[in-house]
Amino acid sequence: MSGRTGLLVRLKRSAPFALDVAFEAPAGAVTALFGPSGSGKTTVLRAIAGLQAVDAAEVSCDGATWQSTTQRIELPAHRRPVGFVFQDYGLFPHLTVRQQLELPMGHRPADARRARVTELLAVTRLQELADRRPAALSGGQQQRVAIARALARDPAVLLLDEPFAAVDWALRESLRHELISLQRRLALTVVLVTHDFDDVTKLASHLVVLDRGEVRAAGTIEELTARNAIEGIGERHDPGVALDGQVIGQLPERQLTVVGADAMQFEIPAIAAAVGAAVRIRLAARDVILARHRPEGLSLHNVLEARVLAVQPAPNEALRMVHLQAGTCRVLSLVTADAVRSLGLAPGVPVLALVKAVAVEAFA
Amino acid sequence: MDWTALALSLRLGVVTVALLLPAAFLLARWLAYGRFRGRGFVEALVALPLVLPPTVVGFYLLVAFGQGSWLGVAAASLLGHPLVFSFEGLVLASLLVNLPFAVQPMQNALAAIPPSIRDAARCCGLSPASTVRRIELPLALPGIATAAVLTFAHTLGEFGVVLMVGGSIPGETRTMAIAIYDRVQAFDEPAAAAMASLLLVVAVAALGITNTLARRAARRE
Amino acid sequence: MNRTACRQQILRCARVTLASLSLAFAAAQPVAAADASGARQEPLVAAASDLQFALDELLQGFAGDTGMRARVTYGSSGNLARQIAQGAPFELFLSADESYVESLAARSLTIGTGELYGIGRIALFVPDGSPLQADPQLEDLSRRLREGKLGRIAIANPAHAPYGRAAEQALRKLGLWEPLQDRLVLGENVAQAAQFASTGNTEGGIIAWSLALAPSLRSKGRYALLPASLHTPLRQRMVLLKGASTGAEQLYAYLRSDVARAILARYGFVLPEE
Repeated sequence: MSGRTGLLVRLKRSAPFALDVAFEAPAGAVTALFGPSGSGKTTVLRAIAGLQAVDAAEVSCDGATWQSTTQRIELPAHRRPVGFVFQDYGLFPHLTVRQQLELPMGHRPADARRARVTELLAVTRLQELADRRPAALSGGQQQRVAIARALARDPAVLLLDEPFAAVDWALRESLRHELISLQRRLALTVVLVTHDFDDVTKLASHLVVLDRGEVRAAGTIEELTARNAIEGIGERHDPGVALDGQVIGQLPERQLTVVGADAMQFEIPAIAAAVGAAVRIRLAARDVILARHRPEGLSLHNVLEARVLAVQPAPNEALRMVHLQAGTCRVLSLVTADAVRSLGLAPGVPVLALVKAVAVEAFA
Repeated sequence: MDWTALALSLRLGVVTVALLLPAAFLLARWLAYGRFRGRGFVEALVALPLVLPPTVVGFYLLVAFGQGSWLGVAAASLLGHPLVFSFEGLVLASLLVNLPFAVQPMQNALAAIPPSIRDAARCCGLSPASTVRRIELPLALPGIATAAVLTFAHTLGEFGVVLMVGGSIPGETRTMAIAIYDRVQAFDEPAAAAMASLLLVVAVAALGITNTLARRAARRE
Repeated sequence: MNRTACRQQILRCARVTLASLSLAFAAAQPVAAADASGARQEPLVAAASDLQFALDELLQGFAGDTGMRARVTYGSSGNLARQIAQGAPFELFLSADESYVESLAARSLTIGTGELYGIGRIALFVPDGSPLQADPQLEDLSRRLREGKLGRIAIANPAHAPYGRAAEQALRKLGLWEPLQDRLVLGENVAQAAQFASTGNTEGGIIAWSLALAPSLRSKGRYALLPASLHTPLRQRMVLLKGASTGAEQLYAYLRSDVARAILARYGFVLPEE
């Protein structure tokens, strides 16, 4: 991991629509480029790959300059070590899966290529499909081939353009799992363009929000989701927090798994994951109940000690968004204004955050 | 059956295809993928021979390359003989007249390749030249084959421009189409009929091949 | 596309074009051998269309004698003269009108001024089955024309075919040129006009007497020889062209031999003294 500084991007364009973005995608992490249609996120992704011309650009990856208007450097797309997964996959219709994977391996000697292809087929579970052409593959299989082909290049950065847009809901979850496990195993730097916030909270650790060609917000998922409302996202998504945690233990006799992030621990319905495996924990603000005293006789598993940081207005006038500090983590809770008054919630007040086990979403 | 004329026609067809197809491929690619302002104008120019009477092309070639013009004199010194009334003159005329038959099928085939595939080739590390060789050419092959077949068949049938630019010199510019005309004037109907039916068979075969290729290309999508 | 990619593409273009050009150049050698130094050459002859049958027979005799198979392009004399002036590689020119030979000689395209090989005559040819009668003064033709019962009549194009010009002169002399305008079909040369008439596509045609005498037309209809006084004489001249090979010279000599003269006479190509 030494020397990996990640992807640094700065782009400017005036026509056909204005673009002015600057952001970083840290090495070995998934950065989501989120925004509504027409916000320019696909253009940005293509410009990083060298597929799109812009007026001024500074793009460098792990210290290597790919494009610099000031230094008059512009690497053509085929010289940039990127792997690109297109929205329609862009598989070559006349090549078998094996041939698709061999094609980008020009940088390896011929004998090493066969071995590497076999490796890739195994990693992406495509062995039985190796001699099929894209027309004989299902949508999900095609997507795996597209990802495998992008990886065949040993890219410094993996770029994905709405990879799950063409896939149905049931398949989406399993594809997300595959992608995230691949990324963790290979420590890939990934930039993911999506308009689905689920993708963001489940896959990404960093977020860049684009709107009409400009960056509205950028930062880690934990930081951004802990805000009341992220500018550019609005009320379309359930406010809540996303935390990076791990599986701490399994309680098979109680059919529970214990996950934790920093000092907080949650008991959740059992998931199949090894102890120590990384998980993304999501807590929606509407699922966090506040109490001044520890309750008894409730079907509750998770009680967190927290302190009120702030009480913010919510889109609905009768509601309030309460920001809490629990250990080193931020938690949000959406409650009625009436509750705020009756509980006397104010900055500094200690409070207990109650979360149903069912409400904690853990994504491994 | 005038075997010399048949050999001449076949040679003209092969030479035309060999010379025209690579140049037409590049032109077709430029039109399919280039985004520049004069594109419609260039496409119209390419399509011109479709609507232009062959005698117009013949006329302008005579004017441009006859003994009276500097271009004609230059060409004559290069070849050792005048360009008009020679096989090379026929080749030149044939190249011009067949331009739309060569360019349009290839242009359509190339344009039908989804842009994401070409972008994907770049992101797989393929240089533009490699992309042409390993992605565009294989995928555009039905279009290229159609272009070759149409150009060849059309060359065999050329008459007006060949007559004007080539005369009817046996072994040099008397192609099969001209030979038929010549045999009719010589009151030799059997010979004319034999050659005419051969050309008819060639034309039908050419259409059959292009139709099959077109259907195969459509099925791939 | 940036500069390096452009350059690569241009290099590729050049390589491909060069390869194709050399391939094509190799393939484009003329089919017939026209080797300038060798002994076996195939002389290229440009001949007026009225010689269609006569010259074919003459060339057969020539091939029998010398083993050389001459190549002929038939056409209207005017058209052939134009092609020669534009550089067509003919070696011997047999014109149905000596004025074309004279104009070529004036432009120094010939070897000398050549020789007369015959006086051309025109005839009205009427195919079998046509309602038209063939008579030397075209009386039946003019009667049918007046009665409005005349179909189409073929002649060669007067603009560049000597026999067409002669036909026009004759028709003018007989006062038929203007009235016949909308009935005339112009053949590109006199052989094409004869073909229109012999197939019955026209009711008749004013064509070369030599063609009417040919066996393939003789069996298809009747003809009437038109008086020579109706048109300026069709003095037919043949000439060797600049750059003619020895084979062409041999052919020229053969065409002036007694054997050739006899064949020509059979087709109506008689010299004034004969």
